[in-house]
Parts: sequence; C-alpha cells; structure tokens
Amino acid sequence: MSLFGMMRTGVSGMTAQSNKLGTVSDNISNSDTTGYKRATTEFSSLIGNQVPSNYTSGGVGTNVRHGITDQGIIEGTTSTTDLAINGQGFFVVSNTDGTPYLTRAGSFVPDASGNLVNAAGFYLMGYDLASGATGVANGLTGLTKVNISQSQLQATPSTAGTFAANLPSGATAVPAGSRPSDNLAGSTYTAKSSLVTYDNLGNAVTLDVYFTNTGPGAWQASVFNHADAAAGGGFPYAGGALATQNLAFGPTGSLTGGSPLNLTIPGGQAFSLDLSNTTQLGTGYTPISANANGNAPSPLDHVDIGNDGTLSFVYQDGGRVPAFRIPLANVASPDNLTPLSGNVYAPSVGSGDVVVGTAGSGGLGALDSSSLEQSTVDLATELTAMIEAQRGYTANSKVFQTGADLMDVVVNLRSQ
Amino acid sequence: MSLSLASSIAQSALASTSTQVSIVSRNIDGANDPNYSRKIANLTTSQTGSGELVSISRAADKALYEKLLFAQSGGASQQALLSGLDQMEQTIGDPASGQSPSALLANLVNALQTYSASPSDLTVAQSVITAASNLTNALNGATATVQGVRSQADADMSTSVQTINQLLAQFQTVNAAIVRGSQSGADITDSLDTRDSILSQLSQQMGITTTTAANGSVSIYTDSGVTLFQDTPRTVTFQATGTFTAGTTGNAVFVDGVPITGSSSPMPLQSGKLAGLSALRDQVAVTYQSQLDETARGLIDAFQETDQSATPTLPAAAGLFTYASVTTVPVGGLVAGLAGQIKINANVDPSQGGTVTRLRDGGISSPGNPAYGYNPSGAASFTGRIQQLIDGVSVTQSFAPTTGLNASASLTGFATASVSWLEAARRSVSDKSDYQNTLVSNASTALSNATGVNLDSEMSKMLDLEHAYQASSKLLSTVDNLYTALFQAVG
Repeated sequence: MSLFGMMRTGVSGMTAQSNKLGTVSDNISNSDTTGYKRATTEFSSLIGNQVPSNYTSGGVGTNVRHGITDQGIIEGTTSTTDLAINGQGFFVVSNTDGTPYLTRAGSFVPDASGNLVNAAGFYLMGYDLASGATGVANGLTGLTKVNISQSQLQATPSTAGTFAANLPSGATAVPAGSRPSDNLAGSTYTAKSSLVTYDNLGNAVTLDVYFTNTGPGAWQASVFNHADAAAGGGFPYAGGALATQNLAFGPTGSLTGGSPLNLTIPGGQAFSLDLSNTTQLGTGYTPISANANGNAPSPLDHVDIGNDGTLSFVYQDGGRVPAFRIPLANVASPDNLTPLSGNVYAPSVGSGDVVVGTAGSGGLGALDSSSLEQSTVDLATELTAMIEAQRGYTANSKVFQTGADLMDVVVNLRSQ
Repeated sequence: MSLSLASSIAQSALASTSTQVSIVSRNIDGANDPNYSRKIANLTTSQTGSGELVSISRAADKALYEKLLFAQSGGASQQALLSGLDQMEQTIGDPASGQSPSALLANLVNALQTYSASPSDLTVAQSVITAASNLTNALNGATATVQGVRSQADADMSTSVQTINQLLAQFQTVNAAIVRGSQSGADITDSLDTRDSILSQLSQQMGITTTTAANGSVSIYTDSGVTLFQDTPRTVTFQATGTFTAGTTGNAVFVDGVPITGSSSPMPLQSGKLAGLSALRDQVAVTYQSQLDETARGLIDAFQETDQSATPTLPAAAGLFTYASVTTVPVGGLVAGLAGQIKINANVDPSQGGTVTRLRDGGISSPGNPAYGYNPSGAASFTGRIQQLIDGVSVTQSFAPTTGLNASASLTGFATASVSWLEAARRSVSDKSDYQNTLVSNASTALSNATGVNLDSEMSKMLDLEHAYQASSKLLSTVDNLYTALFQAVG
C-alpha cells in the first residue's frame, strides 16, 4: 500500500503546488488592480495513520488566505472622487440590486445620474446630510447612494457678520437732532462704511453702517438699508434705520459695550453684527475688517471630500455646504471576509458583524481624497514564489514518477 | 512591494520635477513683467516617501506693496496739482518779459508818470490807455486760463471716476476667481498678480487701503475709510460741470453715497489723482482767481472818480477801469469773476469814441456831469489828477482775506504778492512731486527685489531640476533592469 500511498502523496503535492500557482497567477494578473489584496496559499500537512513499524505517507492540504488587512501603497491622482483608506476600514458599496458589500477600491466616478460608482460597477454608499440621516453603528441602515449631481443654484441667507474699525478719538461730537438716527436730510455723521449681506432669496442687501460721535468715548452706530437711500445716496432713508445702537469705549480705547448689533435683514434672517474688535484710538477712521456670511445664488463648482469622509459641495462663489458623510465599515476579522469579484468582500461567519463608523475615529483609517490604494502585489515576490511552486511541482511529479517506476518493477517481476 | 514602490517613487519624482520645471519656465517668462511675482513650488513628502507637489505660491511682501500703493497715491495727487499750476503759471510767464499783471501795472504807472511830465501830449495820453488796456487784457486772459484749468480738472475728475468704476468692475471678476480658487486649491497666483496690478492702477486714481478676509476676498476702502469694494463694487459717481466761471462750485465725487471731495465732505479723500484734481479745482485755482479779482477790484477802486463839488453828494464812480456795464465802484470786498469783466471805460478810449483828455481832466464816469470834473478850467498843463492816480496805486487798501495774502497792502504790493504766491505754490508742489516720485521709485525697486524674478537663480534652479529628472529616470531604468534579471531567472 505504501507505494500507492507515495503516489497519492505526490499527487496531493502537485495539486497543492498548482493551487499555489493559481494564487500566484491571480496576484500577477491583479498587480495593478486598485484595492486588490494579494492571496497566498498556506500548506498544511496531512499525516497518515501512523504505527511505529510502518510509515503511511499522508500528503498536503492547502488553505488560501487573503491579506485583506495589508495596507497598499497610496498614490496620488487628479480626481477628487478617487478615494483611498489609510488605515483600517472599508467603503460600504452596493451593487445594482442594492446588496451591500465592503471594498477598498475607491476609484469612484459619477455615473449619468450623478451616483458615484467604482471601476467594478459598485455604488458608494453614504449618509445624506440634507435629509438628516445619521445611521446606526452596528448596521447599514440609513445609507443611500452618494450623489454629486447638483443642478440647483444655492443661496444662503446671511446670519452673522463682523465689522471692526478704528473710530477717531478726536472726532467732533454731532449734536442730538442731526444724527443719522434722526434720519433727516441734513443728518451728519463721523464715518460710514457698508457691508454686503444676502436675503433669503440670495439678493444682495447692502447695509450702510454710520458711526456718529455723540460725546467723549460715546458713539452711535446706525444701520440702514442702502436700497432705501434718498436719490444720490444718503439721508433721509425711506423706512428709517434697521438698527441703532450706542457704543461705549473704555479709557484704553477698547469697546466696553454695544456689541453685537442685532437687526433683521429686509427679506432675510436675523443678523448679528459683531463689533467687538472696534476701537477708539487717536488716528483717523480705519476699517479693519468687514465680512458677512451668506452667498448669492451660485452654481456648483466642484465637490470636496475631507479626511473624515464629509463630502461638501463647493459653489462658485467659494461657499461650502456639507452634503454627504461617507462612513467606513469594519469587521472583527477582516482577513476572514469572503472575497468576491470586483474587489468586494462580503461578511462571513468567520469575519464577524459589520460595524460602521466615521473615518479617522474609533480605530478606523483616514480617508484620502485624490488618492488610490494600489494593489498589495509585489511582482518580485510573486515571481520567486512561482519559481518555488514550479520546482515544488517538479519534485512532486518526480515522487509520483518514482512510485510509478517502482510499480512498474513490481508488475514486471512475474514476467522475468 | 519594494521594486514597485521604487518605480512609483521614481514616477512621482518625475511628475513633480516636470511641474517644477514648468514653474521655472513661467518665472523666466514673467521676468520682464513688472506686475509678475516669483512663483514658488511647495513640495512635501508623501506617505510613500516620495516628494509630492502640493501647491504653488508666490513671493509677496504685503508691507512693501502697501508702501508702493501709498507712494503712488501721493505722487499722483502732487502730479495733478503740478500740471494745473504749470498751466496757471503761464498767466505770469517769464518775469523778464513783463507779462504778469504786476509787471503790466508797473508799466501803467510808468506811462502815467511820463504823461504827468507832458500832460498836453495826446500821444503820451494814448500810451497810458494802451498800457491800461494791456493790463485789463492780461487780467481777462488770466481769468480765462484759471477757469480753463478748473474746467480741465473737472473733466479729468470725470475721466478718473470712469477709470475707477472700470477698475472696480475688473476687480470684482478677479476677486471672485481668487475666492473660488482658494477654496478649490487651484493655482490662483496669476489672479493674485492681476489683482495687485488693478490695485496699483486704482491707487494712482485715489488713495486706498485694503483688508483681506479669511476666504481670500479683498475689501478696498478709500484712505479716508469709505467702502469702495466689499464683495461687490460700490458706486462711484460724479456729475461733471460743463463750463466754469469764477463763481462756479464744482460737484463732489460720491463714493457709496458719501461725498469724498469738496469742503462739506465728512470723509475727504487724502491722496491720489482725484484728490489732486479736487484740490486744484476747489482750492488752488479758486484762491488764485480771488487774487486776480481783488487785483481788478483794487484797480477800479484806485482809478475811481469822486464828486468834486464843494459839498459832495454823488457816490464814487468807476473811472479809467470799469467792468461789465456797471458804472459804480464795487464795495464790500470780493466780487467773483471781476478780473474777467474789467475793461477800459469807453468814455476815455479814442478807439471806442471816447476822449483821451478825460484822463487828465476827469469826468470819465459821466462826461456830461461837471461834478466829476477835476480840471474845470480845462488847463492843458493840469497834472493834479494824473498825480492823484499815480499815488492811488501806492495807497494801502484792504483786500479780502480769502485770497490768502496780506489783507492790507497797496495795489502794486498785492499784485506782486499774488505772483510770488503762485510761484511759491508751484515750487512747493514741484518739490513734493519730486520727493513722491523718488519714493515710488524706491518702493518699486524694493518690491521688485523682494518679489521679482532673478534670472540667475532661476537658471541654476533649472540645472538642479535637470539633474533630479535624470536621476529619477536612471532609477526607473535600474528597476527595469532588475525586473529583466528576474524574468530571466523564471524563463
């Protein structure tokens, strides 16, 4: 029996080496596949029923492993929707049927309807921030296809602004009765600046801000809607001041009271103007900063994806609105995930359940935009493994051939 | 993974080197552009260990740049004033040629003195009329010149406002591109250069200050603090005035509803071409015109005729010099535009049908009225009136304080002081203008040294890059050789 056993052992060795050659050839063919994790063949010995006087040869079994936790080289690309994970975790993707899978292949491009789809045809899933979806940690509910088509114009009403200036400490006080707050044709003021804000429809509303000295260290700030100004710009404004506030300055010229200045933008939102950096020092009127949030209707310029997976729409005027959050998923034993075609993995009994989290937190890796994770295959390693397998196969075939030759001797004993 | 890592590093090194070469070539291309600033490639080490190009920035020096803007504004205002003063100086001309009102007044006094020596000589009397006529022509011409300067300044202000509005519209486009580019991480360095160039042009028209917001947007204010641009350009308006006379007040320039020129402006512009033109139109030319007007008034006053009756009842009347169709003597200070209207009384000018002997005998103001006759006997040797006229020019009069000259002076003294005032003003502005031009030249040289392109350093950088590129490609070919060796081992 041992000769037959030896021949079977040789066959099992050849089968094992051809398995190994199979993984090597897969690895070589996928050496440039984004997000591919190299497969390796692990051998394990099979030992026959052993008694001290007799050796029964066993054989070798194979076990194919996937190095899913290996980190591939991250290479830069020029597309912002090319994503790579630096660290642990997977993108959640789904096929056209909606079945969720995990993947590390992040070469996403928008399809005809704007959904981000990777090279293997899987859709990237994320939480739609516009609908307020937050998701749960231990499941994939709340995830929708990430869609970056935004044909609408975006307008944001102004709600807050800052205005800082130096008011001249040597200014002549304007007597009551002829200040801007009186809104008369002859109203006089010390200084004026204006600030562009936006109403609910994205129309620009220019606020005229007047500063009037009312006494030592005391000033009055009056805000008017520029559109209400008299012909030629100036007093009287139709409809009066939007807000008037007294400002007080301390002995060192810093503002001690009167900030913020609250008003409601005509046709817009409540607006808070922060004046806290305004000073009253011994030099001329000098505006230091004047800004307000909000923007006019503006088309989408591009999308931007942050390290935490937040996908923002960036509009042509520079405004930025978060639209999707791309979560990362992980399992207890990533190496035990079941690999499927298209660089995707499905959870298996051995891998454990899917846990969803935010990129860059809870042990999950960071998400790099404009980068791709290269295949973990190294050609030199694979080629040397191929030589090994080739030699191993040849050796096993020699064992088989030796067995066959000996059997030949045994069969021919009688004829001699 | 090491071999494929090596080739991927070599690949990204080639990419970043070629981008750096393109930046060097941009720098060489812009070496002669005064608005071009040196571009700098910012490299970082990527996760795989290779050099990676992250962004392009430019050499900039905010302090030097603001100094240049400040110097340009100051220079432009002095330049505008100087060119106006140069034109007004033509009313004086070369002091030696005797074209100024002061010199012509001296000629008139000389002619009168000659006449007093031979009061019966009609030819000499005629030469007095000619000298007087030259003086009135000079005053009329000077008024026309001064008002022409004001009119030109007004037209230039209108052009300047148009330029400012155009620049602000361009600024909005470039500024929006910069805000957008800084959000998306695009290369905005050329837009920044363009924006600086627009600010530089704007600073020549008017003094400006700028502030930069967090998103890269720049707000522009006038040097007095009126908002010119913040997200959107503010309107700059100016209503040009067609014709200027001595009494005309030009319109103010409005920015964002605030007048920035003129005496009633709460936030007046300090520098720039617009400020210079406004000072010329509203102050310097107006002051000089009031000096000419007061000279004319002083002349009419000095040559007036009074009632010679034993008990004078009639008012003083305009004698040799009169104006418009008025026969009385102007009282109570400045009459705007008088210098443009002063003329020889027709009653004494033979070319207008007058009698020249009235110069000696009086009665120019109303020939039929004996009350104004100084020489009732008609004596041909009468010199009393002529001597009175000669003395009248030297009598101390009081002049309006708005002329900026000594309010109490003789007519000749006042006319001379006026000439000196104009010359002094011109010289002072000329000195300031030279100083500002030096400042501009120094600031622009300093800025160019800090942010301009140095061809030597760009060329040496290019050599370095060439070597780096060669080294990277050598690395690639080495990796290729190693693979070939491996395949031979398999084969």
